[in-house]
Amino acid sequence: MTRRELLQTTTAGFGTAIGLAASAMDPKTPHHTPKAKHVIFLFMNGGPSQVDTFDPKPALDKYHGQPIPGDYPKAKQEKGTLMRSPFAFKQYGQSGLPASELFAKTAQHMDDICVIRSMHCDLPAHPQAILQMNSGRIIPGFPSWGSWLTYGLGTENQNLPGFIALCAGVPDVGPQLWSSAFLPSVHQGTYVPCDELTPEKMIQHIRPRGGTIAEQRRKVELWKSLNELQLREAGKDALLEGRIQSMEVAYRMQSEALDAFDVDKEPLAIRERYGIVGQRDTSEMKIKSATRDGDFARGCLVARRLVERGVRAVQVYFGNDKPWDSHHDILVHRRLAAQADQPIAALIADLKSSGLLKETLIVIGGEFGRRPWTEVAGRINVQNGRNHNNEGFTTLLIGGGVKGGTAYGATDEFGYQSVEKKVHVNDLHATILHLMGLDHLRLTYPYSGRQFRLTDVAGNVAKEIIA
Amino acid sequence: MRHGLILIASLLYADQAEHFELKVRPILANRCFGCHSTAPLGGLTMTSRNGLLKGGKTGPAVVPGSINESLLVQTIEHTHEKLKMPMGASKIPDAEIAVLKQWVKDGAFWPETKPTTPTGPAYVITDQQRKFWSFQPVVKPALPRLKDSTWIKSGIDHFIAARLEEKNLKPNPAANKKDLIRRAYLDLIGLPPTFDQVQAFEEDKSPNAFAKVVDGLLASPHYGERWGRYWLDVARYADDRLDSDVDLPYPNSFRYRDWVVESFNKDLPYNHFVKAQIAGDLIEPKNGVGLGFYGLSPELTDDRVDVTTRGFLALTGACSQCHDHKFDPIPTKDFYALQGVFSSTKRAEYELAPAAEVKAWKDQDKKIQAVKQRIEAFLHQQAMMVAEALASDSPRYIRAARQVLSGGKPEGLDQETLDRWVRYLKTGPKDNKYLHGWQNENFDLSKFRQEALTVLKQRKEVDEKNLQSKATNDPDTKSTTYALPTERFFLWRDLFFSDFYGREFKQEEDGILYYGPNRGYFTTDGTVERWLEGISKKYLVDMRAELKDLQSALPPQYAYAHAIKDNATAVNERIQIGGQPERLGEEAPRAFLSILSKGDPKPFTKGSGRLELAEAIADPANPLTARVFVNRIWQHHFGEGLVKTVSNFGLMGDRPSHPELLDYLASEFVDNGWSIKKLHRQILLSATYQSSSAHNEAAFAVDPANRLLWRMNRQRLDAESMRDTLLAATGELDRKIGGKPVLLNEPANHRRSLYGYVSRRKLDGTLALFDFPNPNLSAEQRITTASPLQQLFFLNSEFLEARAQALVERLKPIRNETERLREAYRVLYSREATPKEVELGLAFLNSSKDAWRDYAQVLLNSNELVFVN
Repeated sequence: MTRRELLQTTTAGFGTAIGLAASAMDPKTPHHTPKAKHVIFLFMNGGPSQVDTFDPKPALDKYHGQPIPGDYPKAKQEKGTLMRSPFAFKQYGQSGLPASELFAKTAQHMDDICVIRSMHCDLPAHPQAILQMNSGRIIPGFPSWGSWLTYGLGTENQNLPGFIALCAGVPDVGPQLWSSAFLPSVHQGTYVPCDELTPEKMIQHIRPRGGTIAEQRRKVELWKSLNELQLREAGKDALLEGRIQSMEVAYRMQSEALDAFDVDKEPLAIRERYGIVGQRDTSEMKIKSATRDGDFARGCLVARRLVERGVRAVQVYFGNDKPWDSHHDILVHRRLAAQADQPIAALIADLKSSGLLKETLIVIGGEFGRRPWTEVAGRINVQNGRNHNNEGFTTLLIGGGVKGGTAYGATDEFGYQSVEKKVHVNDLHATILHLMGLDHLRLTYPYSGRQFRLTDVAGNVAKEIIA
Repeated sequence: MRHGLILIASLLYADQAEHFELKVRPILANRCFGCHSTAPLGGLTMTSRNGLLKGGKTGPAVVPGSINESLLVQTIEHTHEKLKMPMGASKIPDAEIAVLKQWVKDGAFWPETKPTTPTGPAYVITDQQRKFWSFQPVVKPALPRLKDSTWIKSGIDHFIAARLEEKNLKPNPAANKKDLIRRAYLDLIGLPPTFDQVQAFEEDKSPNAFAKVVDGLLASPHYGERWGRYWLDVARYADDRLDSDVDLPYPNSFRYRDWVVESFNKDLPYNHFVKAQIAGDLIEPKNGVGLGFYGLSPELTDDRVDVTTRGFLALTGACSQCHDHKFDPIPTKDFYALQGVFSSTKRAEYELAPAAEVKAWKDQDKKIQAVKQRIEAFLHQQAMMVAEALASDSPRYIRAARQVLSGGKPEGLDQETLDRWVRYLKTGPKDNKYLHGWQNENFDLSKFRQEALTVLKQRKEVDEKNLQSKATNDPDTKSTTYALPTERFFLWRDLFFSDFYGREFKQEEDGILYYGPNRGYFTTDGTVERWLEGISKKYLVDMRAELKDLQSALPPQYAYAHAIKDNATAVNERIQIGGQPERLGEEAPRAFLSILSKGDPKPFTKGSGRLELAEAIADPANPLTARVFVNRIWQHHFGEGLVKTVSNFGLMGDRPSHPELLDYLASEFVDNGWSIKKLHRQILLSATYQSSSAHNEAAFAVDPANRLLWRMNRQRLDAESMRDTLLAATGELDRKIGGKPVLLNEPANHRRSLYGYVSRRKLDGTLALFDFPNPNLSAEQRITTASPLQQLFFLNSEFLEARAQALVERLKPIRNETERLREAYRVLYSREATPKEVELGLAFLNSSKDAWRDYAQVLLNSNELVFVN
């Protein structure tokens, strides 16, 4: 049932004036005809290496072990030498775009993927970059992309939150990443820990206590009668009416969310296809900081179930803190990719077969990429890793009206700096909003004396990637 | 893109001045002014045409019309023999070079007029900016004349009534006494009145009945708990550090919280309250606890300037970190002038115990740490010896592993070590070529054994070299760090690695032969101790006994507060152009904001300058301090400030709805010795405050947002008052004042919500759900939402269930069902139930057997409890 239907069937006489907070999430008319209705952002926090995944660089083989030729002061200062990717690349699909063995399963869908190879952001430091990738700014205090989306578009299912952030643990920086900041707090992302196995653990207070949902109806009916008595006495009041409405939504949410977040409702075969392990091996708990088997996979499967139910924006962080931060040894990427590749491929396949991929934009990437040379700083144990690189990295866009099987932009011959058709984070955000039917210049909110946007004072839509 | 710019640059442009401002000046400003403006490095100033023609030590920078002779072009193209600009950075983009070359070729036109946006040094505050309302001195206005003053109770009302008369609106009549006393209780102490308190007030017909209630509440210790909390919003108070990975609690943060509460309770004059938080260690009576305002900072770069300017002055000073303020007269230099004050301080413990006690504790703690380190080092060293022995024995283990994997049960080996080998070999050591083919019978085990022992030796040598290089104290440590060759490293890592080498490598698991301290993945059971014997074992036992003795002799840690103190020498900051630390501009002497100084700001001279800063803020002549604070207080009484943007009194902020009233309150506030309690009293005793919140169609049509205050705003309880009210209603509230924070989700925690642990890392779920402000930023207001997730809390939380149960218990002694129901209304809402309410309630209770708990939950959940009329 949609919110509109709900209003038509309940509380005759109180449906006219709706509480502010509740109506803010009603679906809204976009600025222009949208290509996509939902976004799933699979956030590879920590910063996966572009030259080891989707941006192969033969020059790294040629110059392996040598300092980077040419005028790169930062590279000289860091003293590392270029390092070839230890992972084998192959071409996929009709488009023939390359991917490394790390993402061999995802690459089966290469003809649906738009590989943006010319990403760049402002700073090579995790907190600032991860804030920027979420809010457009390197400093905290600005609304997240998902908050902007629900602010601009509302959401289609009033029985579930409009913006949901899933993570096994907490990513670096934490709740600020899904904060609505100065936007009305109804647009705050709802954080859901996807290392929890049951909906009850994922969402506070979702399971009805002391009786079934149906039995609870009596309580809610009494509650409504009593509060409507009071409302009659008070006269017109948006606050009081709003709370009565939101109680109805809460009541319905209990059944909807219990269902939506329960991956056990999926057949075993599907869960296995995502790579969700049945019984958790407790010895795995000893790994500090790394993700445990199947947590990210569970997040991906929940994400699918949520967009199927009309949730506007879903974000799945790869794991606690910043797992992709392979400073010491790029081979750690192999273990991480083993957790990422399978569920991503399964998610794309599922959305494709249900047709939802047409209206769902999947974004995959980290806050930045990694340098093409080895890191040799102070306490590095083995010089086989790569340091942060904000000057050039890769982000994938899939579905939602983007041109699949295309590569957009390019880094230099070493995969270091973005040089061709550069896409700044603000540009990426402008493009995402555009695909969702929103003009990033017109999606504004007045705060602290001026109008604010997701894209700060920048942002250009990368029109060429739009199908 | 690149070609496009060159094309544009080569076009003949009609308006040279516009071209200069749009294309040329931004490049010069971004790339050159950092070093060649007020700090003319190499003698060159690039902020004027003359400066370029005159040039620097190496000669003229620009020869108009001649690309070949212009040093500027040679240096940015890196064709000059020595000078390559920008210094120490890579070449600027070709497109920008093209623009500058074309500009030089076309004669280096430089318009006479000043730039439209002030960049760089010549920042001038205009007269118009100075005339902005919030920078004008506070002048106490006369009370406006009114046509009808029957409603008036205080000076405040004159200002409200005058605006309403202008619009031909009538203020709402006074609220009924029950609503009024509930409003006052929840407003001043955050707790509802009891039924008896309401009754007593309703029966008190004396003219000062309400004044007595107000005075009683202001004298209550619960007053400070409520109003101190709103200051803690501004102070972005939290009980832990900002970190996403681990909990880093402040052991003594609560002392600052309690100091704030106590300051409100004893009505510490606001000007002193301000000074104590900036320079409490430098004024009499000395008290550094208030310095927690900075000592508990989330340590974001601009945090301390932000909280100082927004918190005390409602100016968005942090906006000037990267550029001159776009709207308000706050040049970047002012930001760094203030930043210099704070970077001339450091975090410090402000000790609250006698020096001897502090020293005794520290001495003892030092001994404990020393023994701990000795134990760790010993265990690690022993573990490495064991590892070496096990490595030497590796052929036997690998052979045994083969047996295990083919179903055998080899004996005579250390079981855990064998398990580890099996687990390791089973997954296949991908990154380690030395074990390729280990399954084969003809695999050369003795060769592998030799490799393992050799790599251990090599790693020791590398460690040794790194230690030496560290000891030589070479500043360029990057060039003097040694490492094993990659593939050797993997072998070493897989066999011998331990977290002992550094936590930053935490994604890796320990080596399979390692049994030492700080273990990671594999070492779940065994420790190196089971290999220790004789003297070694005794040594460990002795050290542990010593540690235990030392620890039991350690007294509880002395009391201290988290504060700041001045560095030995104060240093000025230099402007960071564009907010980038590597692009330094002119020096910004430590000083107060220009717009609030008479003439040019006087540089601070005493230490960091904190005291001078505090005095400048607390100066009665400061046009902002008092206005900003009375507006904060007003906001929390009425739900909205006279200036709605309570932390922004700048150009882009709101304008006061009642400017004279704001000045009236501010000047009375200062005249009353900055007494906060007198300010509350003044507000609460006004007719404006006491008006009803009822709807009025006529007034609503003209002023739906109630900016003119024709009625009192209905407000939802904030997170803390809501939880506290529920606990008070069921009679469970623990009213103890002060002390260490307690987790709010502890079921047995019945203390006021103020004492809940406030985490920057992960805010308590219930607080977050009910719009508690983000403790990483200075918060100006409580936003209230009504999200479905909040209603789920009412429907399904253990907390609500426990309260419902407690309410049932409380009412149990009353046998008669109807009477029990009536008592519930008295306890929860401080009123009698209406006949209709009794009817609905009884119908519900009679419909099932055990309905009382459900009924109690419904009542605890009502709008009447959650909203204040």
